[in-house]
Amino acid sequence: MRKSFISGNIAIAEGAITAGMRFFAGYPITPASDIMEYLAERLPEIGGVVTQFEDEIASINAVVGASWAGVKSMTATSGPGFSLMLEALGLAVITETPLVVVDVMRAGPSTGVPTKTSQSDVMQVRYGAHGDYVIPVFAPWSAQEAYDLTIKAFNVAESLRTPVILLSDAVIAHLWESVLLAEPGEVEVINRKKPSSPPDEYLPYKPDNDLVPPMATFGEGYNVIVESLIHDERGFYRQDREAYRNLVKRIVNKVLSRVDSLFEVEAYYGDDYKYLLVSFGSTARSALAAARILRKSGIKASLLRLKTLSPLKLETLRKYCDEAEKIFVVENNMGKLVHDVERAAENDKVISLPLLDLEIPEPKDIVEGVRKWL
Amino acid sequence: MVVSTLESSHPLDKYLRTARLPHIWCPGCGLGIALGSIMRAIDKRIKEGTLKKENLVFVTGIGCSARTSFYVNFDAAHTLHGRAIAFATGAKLAKPELEVIVIGGDGDIAGIGGNHLLHAAKRNMDLIVLMITNFVYAMTGGQVAPTTPLGLYTTTTPHGNPEPPLNVVKVVSSLNANYVARASVTHPALVEQYVYKALGMRGFRFIEILSTCPEIFGRHIGMRDPFTLYSTLRSKVIVKQSPSIEESDLDWGKGFVIGEYLVRDNPGYLDRIGRGLK
Amino acid sequence: MSASSTKFRVNIITNRCKECGICIGVCPTKVLVKGDKHNEHGFRYPLPVNIERCIGCRLCEYNCPDFAIFVEVVKK
Repeated sequence: MRKSFISGNIAIAEGAITAGMRFFAGYPITPASDIMEYLAERLPEIGGVVTQFEDEIASINAVVGASWAGVKSMTATSGPGFSLMLEALGLAVITETPLVVVDVMRAGPSTGVPTKTSQSDVMQVRYGAHGDYVIPVFAPWSAQEAYDLTIKAFNVAESLRTPVILLSDAVIAHLWESVLLAEPGEVEVINRKKPSSPPDEYLPYKPDNDLVPPMATFGEGYNVIVESLIHDERGFYRQDREAYRNLVKRIVNKVLSRVDSLFEVEAYYGDDYKYLLVSFGSTARSALAAARILRKSGIKASLLRLKTLSPLKLETLRKYCDEAEKIFVVENNMGKLVHDVERAAENDKVISLPLLDLEIPEPKDIVEGVRKWL
Repeated sequence: MVVSTLESSHPLDKYLRTARLPHIWCPGCGLGIALGSIMRAIDKRIKEGTLKKENLVFVTGIGCSARTSFYVNFDAAHTLHGRAIAFATGAKLAKPELEVIVIGGDGDIAGIGGNHLLHAAKRNMDLIVLMITNFVYAMTGGQVAPTTPLGLYTTTTPHGNPEPPLNVVKVVSSLNANYVARASVTHPALVEQYVYKALGMRGFRFIEILSTCPEIFGRHIGMRDPFTLYSTLRSKVIVKQSPSIEESDLDWGKGFVIGEYLVRDNPGYLDRIGRGLK
Repeated sequence: MSASSTKFRVNIITNRCKECGICIGVCPTKVLVKGDKHNEHGFRYPLPVNIERCIGCRLCEYNCPDFAIFVEVVKK
């Protein structure tokens, strides 16, 4: 390990390099651009390619193509760009293409306030594309975690053959912190499963028992079919209910069945509490400070921080919620994660604290929000 | 006539997913003629040893032409409407030894995918793009397309198409492509010849292939009979050795000039970024 | 089905034929005529009734949109 003083965006770039990413396609957008700028400098030095495309649509489609050519690939954007990427995100889902999309959130809707932070993309990153699917979403709260979760994002993408979202925000993007970077071999790096059967017996969408099909890629002699239509195990288009259900259920279940390893939370002051703050990303930093302030004044508050926003393990959330008298969902938006917490807890215990701040929320605003209900 | 049972298979069957034949295209659709010609060019290259079968990748978007990826027995991708060039660019950049061929209709390539076409040509991206022009959106039932003639009835221009057609050959020629040609399914040997040539080049290679859609376009212009439409298109095709861009307009009155509009050997994108071909 | 002259054999994969008539139209020596038998998809495939006129130009093969017809040189 070596220590480096870097920003959250650079940490994401470094995490991707550590994970083996060698193709990056992107389009400039605040506050994500410096991920591409940094990689444009670094990646060619280690045999990778960075290309700025004509738009975000081209960027993510190129990433899907590059992944099918056997190279770990990534793109990074912000809310407006992510909206443009949604159709191809669905393509990555149904073609079971490993890739990582970074969404560095900024205030919206529309062009919003490009330079200011927000957590308002929680719904679009999980549910934005059409069709039925579940994809993993990880939300770091520090530069170190941006690095670590980027590596995890690639490992999950490769092992489950799925797109994975890294959900950062403008605060994490340009927050400079000391980060421990791994040398090769110091951290687990997972690569996609390759077929063991000969090309004439290979079925590109036939899963193993883990619901994930081994992935042959272009140029390996397997005559792969990348198919955006509903398809069977051969990759042939099918429009019957059986094939449709088989495919959609499998691509959903291969993610949901891993919820135990995918869903990560961290509890702070979690041994003895009456009030539970639930938060994620940069806002959780303020929520932790707020919990500390509340505890100093004798109010037994704790924080549950979600590192994973999809898939959620409601039982885990419920366990923490059951211990609390009141649950405050603290997020920098109009209230999005609160809907999930309401599903996990008894409804009348859950209080939404939608901060809608353009900066990292101040702890005192959270403390005041909590005190109103005591 | 001495009739016997079939003892041999079609010479192109080795490149086709024959289990998926007959294909979905309507009777008389020119797409099969185009695909056959493309396959023969590929066959020639493979037999010569100048192309490896396992390195070929067919990338298509959405539409009738995009369905070619169903039938080719190579690595193939049937992706999103308009996005085949972007997908193909990613694949080629990630693995330069691949020979990536994009096939799409004029709507897919020059309509919804027009911006990707411009930029792939601008960066002289090492790709072959085969745009099959049938003058109409066929898969969705006959709406106006980028190449639909001015004034023509379509289902979304019931009072006549108010827009003159897009001359994609001219557009691509104005950029940095290494090869720009126009062919027609009524002259399959030329389709084969141009594709064969493109396969031996670097940079961005674009071939427009005029085609027949008797079922939809033929209905719009009153030529439902496949051979009538085919022979009408054939009669309007003017073959030239080195045509000038100025005579490239898609004009049903004056006829369609086919030939090699642009041939050059500038460095491709891969050369420029230091990852030269092979 | 297939039919041979002393020089060429015209092969028709009948179940691929869609009865578009292009092969009949492009044949310069009128080897092919419209057939009256239906294939399994209900299309009437052409018949090389005038096979002795075949000059082996392969225009039918190259212009068939359905990979349904091909010409071979008869080996002696």
